[in-house]
Amino acid sequence: MDGQWLASPWLIPAAVGAGVVALGLLALMLATPVYKHIICAKYLFCGWKAVVPLVSALPAALGVFLLILVFAIMDGFVRETREMTRGTLSDIIVDAHMEGLPHYEELARRIEAIEGVEAASPVIQTYAVARVKPRLSSIKPLVRPCVIIGIRPGEKAEMGRFHEYLQRQRGSQYAAADLLNVPEAWHRGPRPARPGCIAGVGVIGAPMSSPVPETMREGAGRRVLAAFLAVPAALASLFVWRAGRRRQGRAGWTVATILCVVVFMALVAAASFMPVREVQITRPQVIDFPLLPYGGDLVVSTIPIRPSGALAMEAGGIPKVSSRAFTVVDRFKSGYWEADSSHVYVDFDVAQQMAGMDAQPAAEGKPAVPARTNQIQVRIADPSQAETLVRKIEDVWRDFGRERPEVGVLQLSINTWETQQRMILTVVEVERNITALMLGVMLLGFGVLIGLISYVMAYIKARDVGILKALGARDAGVGSLFLGYGFIIGVIGVTVGMTAALLMLANLDPIEVWVNRTLDIDVFPREMYYFDHIPQHTSPAWCVAIGAGVLALSTLASMAGGLLAALKQPVEALRYE
Amino acid sequence: MADTILQGVSLVKEYRMGASRLRVLRDVDVRVARGEFLCVLGPSGSGKSTLLHLLGLLDRPTEGRVVFEGQDAFARPKRWRDRMRNEAIGFVFQFYYLMPDLSVLANTLLPAMVRTPLAAWPAVRGGHRRRALEVLTDLGLSERVAHLPRELSGGERQRAALARALVHQPRILFADEPTGNLDSATGEEIMRVITRRTRRDGLTVVMVTHDQRVAEQADRILRLHDGKLLRGA
Repeated sequence: MDGQWLASPWLIPAAVGAGVVALGLLALMLATPVYKHIICAKYLFCGWKAVVPLVSALPAALGVFLLILVFAIMDGFVRETREMTRGTLSDIIVDAHMEGLPHYEELARRIEAIEGVEAASPVIQTYAVARVKPRLSSIKPLVRPCVIIGIRPGEKAEMGRFHEYLQRQRGSQYAAADLLNVPEAWHRGPRPARPGCIAGVGVIGAPMSSPVPETMREGAGRRVLAAFLAVPAALASLFVWRAGRRRQGRAGWTVATILCVVVFMALVAAASFMPVREVQITRPQVIDFPLLPYGGDLVVSTIPIRPSGALAMEAGGIPKVSSRAFTVVDRFKSGYWEADSSHVYVDFDVAQQMAGMDAQPAAEGKPAVPARTNQIQVRIADPSQAETLVRKIEDVWRDFGRERPEVGVLQLSINTWETQQRMILTVVEVERNITALMLGVMLLGFGVLIGLISYVMAYIKARDVGILKALGARDAGVGSLFLGYGFIIGVIGVTVGMTAALLMLANLDPIEVWVNRTLDIDVFPREMYYFDHIPQHTSPAWCVAIGAGVLALSTLASMAGGLLAALKQPVEALRYE
Repeated sequence: MADTILQGVSLVKEYRMGASRLRVLRDVDVRVARGEFLCVLGPSGSGKSTLLHLLGLLDRPTEGRVVFEGQDAFARPKRWRDRMRNEAIGFVFQFYYLMPDLSVLANTLLPAMVRTPLAAWPAVRGGHRRRALEVLTDLGLSERVAHLPRELSGGERQRAALARALVHQPRILFADEPTGNLDSATGEEIMRVITRRTRRDGLTVVMVTHDQRVAEQADRILRLHDGKLLRGA
């Protein structure tokens, strides 16, 4: 749970609202006749029969537990996926596709002049084939499809979180982030004249899963389990003690009470004092994308595209292939597999030449061709203003196109990074929403169950209803007795479910390790999900909303019993005998 | 009869039985004087319990009026009838109808609990408790106050029910076959308590029974047969 919610503008209104609701509930409680409190408490906590209504709190607890747990994990997935995809892009992308955009420097300057835009940088992006040379001639080279991305290192450093993903190369004298600011870093190695590149870890190696030692806190899972079990043990102690008190002189009850209390205390002691120690475990994990036995050289080949959109051709109709050797000066790993397995970042000018987008002088009666780029990446000051700034950039582009008719015919796509990546984000978000919907439907089923239990309770307690009405209790009052009963069941369910969910979320990784080791079930295969931990994001607002929703559902569901009790005629109820 | 506390005027009660209607009470007129011990005697199914429920404001008559202390009870709001049942009326039933999860003392305190909000309870609880203990002691239940109803004998249960009906000093007590579920000795003991309350405290009692010997302890007996009061009763 991060602390961002503390800065939320909704915090104070929400706290005031919660306070008003709490005060309202307190006032309602104080104004309610005493018999409702006493009888409700008796129905809930008196004797062995009380186990049945308390069991009805379990569906509510289970619903809250599952909703919070699933929401936290799915939301964690969504957030971390968004972070990963965003890190490789900028806030807004002006995309001119493969045909290229001329006069881009001027357009970038105009975009930078828009209020709220901090930087605009041209980027070349074209498809290619990467060949990783082996160190030994007996080994076949690696050949992969890739995307060449031409960047201006100083400007790219200001875009997204790209610099955070650079893995420092072994033996490099520069810090990884300096690659984006120190030009010499791109020309290191035995051939300084050769341009450098930053390749995705998946381009120059294959993911290697290996059992690696890892330090874990052993015992944390057992502590949580003991804490979970202590709650029913405490309830059992209370019930047995209450039952024993009603049956004085029977030693068996005393012994049973002592046993329950001993079990409860043992569990509390285990939850508090069970040793937690650091242990070394081994489990499969993606540890590296090893280069060995491949060297640090990469040859990238692409086919340039002419300003007309046609492929550049050699004489005889053979496509002209533009190849260039690069020294891999660093690797990057964003966690977003599509980028990590295909992107090769090179200097903008080099990429422009390879893609045939550099300026061509006039020759043999042909006019001069200006330099072109594929994209202009834009960084903005306030990400929440992205959509507004997209519209402003569209206005700038329209004006620019009117001034330069040869550019104005191009079809540009101007999108935020979220729109650009909507496919992957939508998939994860849809998955989260479908899961929430399914759990919501399940919760409605729990609501029906609570309603049925409340109805059966009111049916069984029909004689009590008749007695209370004969003594002058009002219909609404007797009905609200069962509403209060449902409310308390909801409070118990929400408290138990929320506590269990938050405890589990706080100890998710130790619990996963414990399940993994004890049951030999790999709950979260890291190489499949590409996260090195189970992602989670617990939102206090969601917790409150889920708790309040389940509480409302439980209270509403118990209206079934409340209505039955309220509408029951006292004479009819007293004929029960 | 000058000081009438309760009057049933042309009372009719019908129950729907599918398409047909079952007339349980037919044009019954009853007048109860303050301080009187009235007994309604009749065989099983004669409608005496139904009459008691109507007079005790537990059920609404199909036709006719119930006048309680000069007020047409069913012309007044339901809230008024609820308040009357809580403050002015006491009930004793054949099957005791004690709350099974509450102790004898808590059962006795129930009328007070029904009318007192939680906020006011700490201030008045002591007084109600004292009064309840007095009544329970008077009925010989001082050793049983902490027990649950299931831990009491039949006679003790009925005495506890009687304590609950008397603790708030009602102006009228309705008793529906109070001895019907008890052995004769225990029944006599209960009747002694009721009679004593009538004679000593001037409590008005309306009791229904099918037992001639029990009915003979009342000041006046009304005989009910097939939902009609017999003439000359």
